[in-house]
Amino acid sequence: MGKKKLTIGEASKPRFEYRTFGRDFENAAFLMSRLSVPVPRKVWERFSQEIYIVSRTNDVNNTKIRDGKMDIKTFVQEVDGLEQWNPLMKGEFPMKVDVLKNEVFPAFKVEMPEFEKDEYTLEEFLEIVKNHPDLQAVSVEKQRFGYMVNDTICEVANVWINGAAVVTVNSESTEIEDIKKTIKDLELEGVENINYLQAIKRVIGMIDKKLAN
Amino acid sequence: MSPKTKPRYEFRIFGNNLTETEEKINKLSKKEKTRKMTSVYLLASGNPGNNIKIRDGVMDIKVLENVKYGLEQWNPFLVGEFPLSSEVIRTVVFPSLGVQCPVLERDKYTLKQLVDELITVDPDLSVAYVNKTRHSYTINKCITEIAEITVNGAFIKTICVESEEPEKVLKVKNKLGIDDTVENVNYPLALKRIMGLVQLPEIWKSWDF
Repeated sequence: MGKKKLTIGEASKPRFEYRTFGRDFENAAFLMSRLSVPVPRKVWERFSQEIYIVSRTNDVNNTKIRDGKMDIKTFVQEVDGLEQWNPLMKGEFPMKVDVLKNEVFPAFKVEMPEFEKDEYTLEEFLEIVKNHPDLQAVSVEKQRFGYMVNDTICEVANVWINGAAVVTVNSESTEIEDIKKTIKDLELEGVENINYLQAIKRVIGMIDKKLAN
Repeated sequence: MSPKTKPRYEFRIFGNNLTETEEKINKLSKKEKTRKMTSVYLLASGNPGNNIKIRDGVMDIKVLENVKYGLEQWNPFLVGEFPLSSEVIRTVVFPSLGVQCPVLERDKYTLKQLVDELITVDPDLSVAYVNKTRHSYTINKCITEIAEITVNGAFIKTICVESEEPEKVLKVKNKLGIDDTVENVNYPLALKRIMGLVQLPEIWKSWDF
């Protein structure tokens, strides 16, 4: 049976992802733009403002809040250096204390704080994060340019982490071989796969490691 | 610090969109020189009056001496060259960071040992690796600088005006069209914001600042 082609913006089975972060991916961005098939206008350029909650004790769950909605993804497996992440939970603020106790804080893998209310607004939740020694809320702004190369969903993006700028490029697909071909075509072979969580932790000094360039 | 150097008053801004101010600086002065350097900053969420920096294997600490007209006067003192003795780390470095000094198991610490064994293990402390490309100018006898910097790999720009005489800095600020509503942000404060050690102001949550 032939593989099902990916369509930008449509749900698919969990995808594998290659992503890296640094200061300069001009060459990869140029190649991506030239190798891409035409993509829908809505993904040409997108802006978003998000808050990532990073936990000192956890690299396997990725928590992000956009437009008052929380989205937690969990790391499933790594194959040939490519990472597969699955949705773990989706929630909205105000959030019930049971959801915070049973789903959100266990995903952070930190000591459970004391809760005094039945539900929490985003501002109240961020106050709990601020007072927790192992958690940090990080402002992440993205300007994303979408492409499709070798049937993989690709993007090059300018990302501002707490106001400071980095660049990211990525390729994602359900098909590992398509991503590997894309990495080769974008001349990114040997460049470390760095996911959002890792990049943010490196910039804010939670991990003492450099970005790809 | 050279004995003849008097601490200067400083006004500094950080941002991603400083083009207007850069253009004014370039109109008012010729670029004199460009220097590249790497500095390591040791940061804590408290201690707003200390700036602890290592460059070329030497640590110095700047202490906030005075604030006049919103301008900051920092006075540097030399701590010493690495490896640093545990005595200096206990009596100078950690008091400046404003946190309790852990048990020191070595007599001397290299920079890597200090970072790996004493700083990164403490959730209240952080390290920022800062690469700077600094372009210097002189406007009305004030040292003026435009710099591109990366903080742990992430990019931001900074512009600074400094002089021993605060009135001169105010005049240059005025010439550059920087009014009193613009916040004076020193290096440690900017680094702490990027690294999430202090509250991020709303304006820093939008890239266009």
